[in-house]
Amino acid sequence: MKKYHFLPMSLLAVAVLAACSSLPPNNALLDEASNDYSKAKASPQVTELAAIELKQAGDSLDKATHAWKEREDRALVEHLAHVAKQQVAIAQETANQKAAELAIATSSAERDKVRLEARTREADSAQRSAEAARQESEASQRKAEESQRSAETSQLQSEASQRQAIAEKQAASDAHLNTQVARQQAQDAENRSRQLEVQLTESEAQLKDMETQLKGMEAKKTDRGMVITLSEVVFDTNKAQLKSGGMRNVQKLADFLKKYPERKVMIEGFTDSRGSDSHNQSLSDKRASAVRTALLEMGISPERLTSRGYGESFPVASNDNAAGRQMNRRVEIIISDNSGNITPRE
Amino acid sequence: MKNSSGYKWYRPISVIGCAAVVIVGCASIPPPTEQIAVAKSALASAASVGGSEYASVEMSAAQEKLDRAHQAMEKEDYENARWLAEQAQADARLAEKKAQSAKAQKAANVIQDDIRVLREEINRKSK
Repeated sequence: MKKYHFLPMSLLAVAVLAACSSLPPNNALLDEASNDYSKAKASPQVTELAAIELKQAGDSLDKATHAWKEREDRALVEHLAHVAKQQVAIAQETANQKAAELAIATSSAERDKVRLEARTREADSAQRSAEAARQESEASQRKAEESQRSAETSQLQSEASQRQAIAEKQAASDAHLNTQVARQQAQDAENRSRQLEVQLTESEAQLKDMETQLKGMEAKKTDRGMVITLSEVVFDTNKAQLKSGGMRNVQKLADFLKKYPERKVMIEGFTDSRGSDSHNQSLSDKRASAVRTALLEMGISPERLTSRGYGESFPVASNDNAAGRQMNRRVEIIISDNSGNITPRE
Repeated sequence: MKNSSGYKWYRPISVIGCAAVVIVGCASIPPPTEQIAVAKSALASAASVGGSEYASVEMSAAQEKLDRAHQAMEKEDYENARWLAEQAQADARLAEKKAQSAKAQKAANVIQDDIRVLREEINRKSK
């Protein structure tokens, strides 16, 4: 009995299986899902980042493959294959998402670093430009200071120049003054010299005039000045009386003295060596005095007239012969200079 | 002989019974309410992250399959409804992942662009 029960059921099962195995062996959608899964499995990114999703996809693919191997309904196989394919894609996308998220994490850090670098550079740049500006400002300041210094120097120089100019002007002025003074001095000197010249000329003229006047009186130039010698002939022998001829000579002298009132005269009397000394001294005194008296009478003031006898001293010739003795008997009238000085006889 | 004829009579009945068991086994698929709910939820989730924008093909497919699953439910074609719901769920989840992945990639690209711009800025300023 039991034997008969099994047989139809087995037959039915075989018939069902046979019907299934009659389906086309390949399923395009399943192949596609399988291919996608193989690729995903080969990608380290997917295996690492989407392991769970890939596992689910693999399970779904196994189910689909099993259904296909069991010759299940094609719609079921394709359904399972589609789900598997989508799950593989989900695994892929999950891996992509996680990779992107990882990239975001790492590149965020990088971006922060780069941003910091940029800001640092910006700050550095700002600092550099500030430094540059500061240096520029310092340079300008230095330049300004330099300008000021040079201006000050210029001013100093200018002041110095001015001072120098003033000094020069002063010097010039001084020089001018000096020149004027010198000119004045020169002028003065010239004037003086002219004056002197005039004076000289005058005195020369005076002298000439004097000489001319004194010529008649036989005046002689000596170391002591002009000396007029009145010879013995104007006096009588042994007398102190002037002869008329002698009086004319004295008159000429009086005229001369009137013309030159600043001049004084020294009247000196001399004798020869004959006779006693006292007689000779007395005679010489008297004769000198006689000339003086004559001049006083002619209006010459007494303070201008000095007389003195020297006796037989100071002979001008030999007393051994008559000619010599005559020359020694004389009266000498010494005319003073302009100031009235007469060098006294030693 | 009588045994032989009895056997003959029983055989078709057993075959029919067997077939009935198979058919009942097939027909005993419950309505895939849970799968449809999961698919719907997945679709909503994908839509919320911008699945329509980043994975329009998958999104429309998921929506279409969910609609067909509902229709199959109405026809009490539960097997088909379940498959459609399962596929809609897979499609929606893929759309969601694609959207998320694309967004992440976009964000990563933005950062890379930022880095590139900053580097250019540094190079320009350091010149």
